[in-house]
Amino acid sequence: MRSVALCCLLFWGAALAQDDPEPLHVATWGGVYEESQRKAYFDPFAAETGVPIETADYAGGVEPLREQVANGRPEWDVADMTMADHRQACEEGLLEPFDRNSLAAAPDGTQPERDFIEGSFTRCGVAHNVFSVVYAFDKRAFPGAQPYRIEHLFDPERFPGQRAFHRRPDALLEWALISYGVPAEDLYSLLSTDRGMRLAFERLDRIREDIVWWSDPAEAVELLLRSDVSFAMGYNGRFFDAAVVRDQPIEIVWDAQVYELEVWGVPRGAGRPELSRRFIRFATRTESLVEQTRHIAYGPTRVSANRRVGEHATAGVLMRPHMPTNPLHMDRAIEKDVAWYARTRERLDERFDAWLAAGAE
Amino acid sequence: MSALVRLRDQAAGLANVARRALAVSLLGLVLGGLASLAATGFVFAVEWLNDVLWVSARSRMIHGDWRWLPWVTVAVLATGGLLVGLLNRYVLPGGRVHGPPDVIEVAQSGHGRLSLRAGLASAGAAIASLGAGASVGQYGPLVHLGATLGSAIARWMPAGGATLGTIGIGCGVASAISTAFNAPIAGILFAHEVILRHYSLKAFAPITVASTIGFVLTNFVFETRPLFRVNVVPEVAPAEFGAFIVLGILGALVAIAFMRAVILAGRLARASRLPVPFRPAAAGAALGIMALWTPEVLGIGKETLRFAIIPEAFSAGELGLLLVAKIIATALCLGFGFAGGSFSPALVIGALYGALAGYVAAPLVPGAADSISVYAICGMAAVTSPVIGGPITTILIVFELTRNYELTTAVMVSVVFANLVSYRLFGRSMFDEALRARGCDLTMGRDQLVLDHSTIEAYITRHFVEAHPGESLGVLRDRLIAAEATEAQLIDRERNYLGTITLSRLLVAIARAPNATVDSIADWDDEALRVDTSIWEALKHAESNIGEMLPVLEKGDSNRIVGVIAQSVIVRAYRDTMYGIRREEHAAP
Repeated sequence: MRSVALCCLLFWGAALAQDDPEPLHVATWGGVYEESQRKAYFDPFAAETGVPIETADYAGGVEPLREQVANGRPEWDVADMTMADHRQACEEGLLEPFDRNSLAAAPDGTQPERDFIEGSFTRCGVAHNVFSVVYAFDKRAFPGAQPYRIEHLFDPERFPGQRAFHRRPDALLEWALISYGVPAEDLYSLLSTDRGMRLAFERLDRIREDIVWWSDPAEAVELLLRSDVSFAMGYNGRFFDAAVVRDQPIEIVWDAQVYELEVWGVPRGAGRPELSRRFIRFATRTESLVEQTRHIAYGPTRVSANRRVGEHATAGVLMRPHMPTNPLHMDRAIEKDVAWYARTRERLDERFDAWLAAGAE
Repeated sequence: MSALVRLRDQAAGLANVARRALAVSLLGLVLGGLASLAATGFVFAVEWLNDVLWVSARSRMIHGDWRWLPWVTVAVLATGGLLVGLLNRYVLPGGRVHGPPDVIEVAQSGHGRLSLRAGLASAGAAIASLGAGASVGQYGPLVHLGATLGSAIARWMPAGGATLGTIGIGCGVASAISTAFNAPIAGILFAHEVILRHYSLKAFAPITVASTIGFVLTNFVFETRPLFRVNVVPEVAPAEFGAFIVLGILGALVAIAFMRAVILAGRLARASRLPVPFRPAAAGAALGIMALWTPEVLGIGKETLRFAIIPEAFSAGELGLLLVAKIIATALCLGFGFAGGSFSPALVIGALYGALAGYVAAPLVPGAADSISVYAICGMAAVTSPVIGGPITTILIVFELTRNYELTTAVMVSVVFANLVSYRLFGRSMFDEALRARGCDLTMGRDQLVLDHSTIEAYITRHFVEAHPGESLGVLRDRLIAAEATEAQLIDRERNYLGTITLSRLLVAIARAPNATVDSIADWDDEALRVDTSIWEALKHAESNIGEMLPVLEKGDSNRIVGVIAQSVIVRAYRDTMYGIRREEHAAP
């Protein structure tokens, strides 16, 4: 009886694979992050359902999604976006509504409502990990005193060298203002004033000549490893991979880390919403999230998964100290105000572009 | 056997002490907890309104692409003003917002009774004012709300009375300050220095418990942040301490200018003949229009306070302009009847002044260029402390917010000189000045106020020698001699007072015309005391009166006599009251 059932299941799986050879298109960020996703849930999902995952390159922002939705049928089935971009996309109606009841319970039966950390759910999706934007520096560039605070990033006299930044105002504005000694809790209300914005850009003016812009997160690490720059802003998980797993001479500075959630969403009008939902359910299972922490240092959004965080798969180091949510890293940590970003993106970009243009003259 | 008895007595004594200690802690615990909850709720409501009504910087940024935003501000302020105006006119007792001056008056007069209705309505008016973005402070309303709750509950408790009411006020005030600033020691000192103005152990213990509860609740239960946190403090050069003295002296002048401006605006409001309900609305509309050019004048001014301690944030010109604008805006709001305190605006004005002073000092004082933020904080304290009349409180708030000795020492210097100058030129504080305008002078302490609030009723004697119209002089003389009295009160059948007859006058009259009646020689005391006359009034009266017994009439306009009071008894009433004050001030638990 049992073997019959198993046989049926296998047959059904194979039939599904045959009927549906078309892969599921997931927009994500590439590099070691994508690798960790592949190991943790892309491949296991394909093995279980017979539907392979094909990834599409995505490097932040709402623009690519906007274009796809405007064109009618989006190429992406699932999008892995930062909370700020996700919320903006959701408000613009670029994402399908999401039903949190479609998620799996924790191994001990805890319902998702109670298992996911606060703020994980939105109207259009569910957050799956906590990542953080930090800066790392090339240890070879600073044999003497080493930079360890955000202020040092804006001090080219004491700490000379090129700085690689993502070409967006995000985290840069926060850091610039924090360097004046503003406490993190007042950050966004000060950035909301003209004066605060002006102060932030004045700080950036100091290092304008030293900035190298990147758009692909993997590039940030490469620039640093090639010694093209002395500092790079980037995602903590990728820096962890370079510094700890690959044992490269770079050091992560956690001071004033800007942390945020990474969220799954389904683009509006995407072809296979049912399969996408099944994928999201699979990828956000406690087991999947725990497995991902064995490959990259991003904190899972489920309490049940956080309890199970252990060692890295190959490097054999404990992962807990490298997570953004470690209390040691929370001293001046900045929780990115995603609602603020979602509503002010256009004006921020305008002002940022104007600042870039002013430097080009 | 006797050893056993002694042991039993000691145990009973210990149990008594334990019971008292428990009661005291319980009082502080309940009052402190409630005041802290109320303060947290108050602050939360204001923040929520600021976000919803597009007053807070963050919400203004989020909706900043909407071109009607400035006009929304004007409309919100005018509407909020109208609401406050209506509350002033129809709900608030006395037609005005109550605040710290009322708390001080009640605590000083010793009866310990604050009106719950006035307290709640004032808090509502303050939430509306602050929520709409008026340029007023929130600590005054917080203090008043805490005091009201403390007074109400302490009086409701078993064995509650005037003294317990006053202790309750102290508890509520301390907890409110401790909650708002995350500064428990400053809370205790504020209650004693500004409100109670004496230190008795009996009050100290529950107030300390209340202040601690406020601190514990904000830190560990609600995990709210202090309203203003200073975390970066540059070093101070030795030569700069001289500069801080000058900063303090000039800061007093800024504080006086601010306080005078508020008083002037109040006069302006009355002179304008604008009906009370519309006064705040007019001020609100004016403020909204001002905010079109200087949005910094809106609300509590947290962002401005923060920018003032960042050296690069303002130019000297901007600082001067904003300093004047904030004084005008706050004077307008407070003078025209918005509900709120003067503490937070004083902080902003002081910080702007201090930063400006730092710019001026930079080329003159070695080391000043690197410590403009220290000047801003010293300026902030130097302007604020004369306004609230609390130098020690101000110093401690700075200490608890920064936990930095150098900075606190610098602030200390500025603060004491500011208070010294301001005391000479203006008075103890804005609160005391408001009380003085209402006829309650606290310059020489509370004695007069307490005497003013205690009546002579308990000291009246109902037995006295009566004389009646038509009575002969001789008969009265015999009656007086028999009663060993020197005075008689002439009263008619309805017991109306007609005059006083002294024995000496009677004897002289008898010598002249033995057959005359008493009517002709009665001396009418036209400023007769009444049952509800205060001891203070009675004292003044006794000074100008040569008689021994003073007649006391019924309350109101009636001429019916109730009894008499001897001058010596008035002096005893005075002594009793003073003794009561001293006993309260020095009482141990």
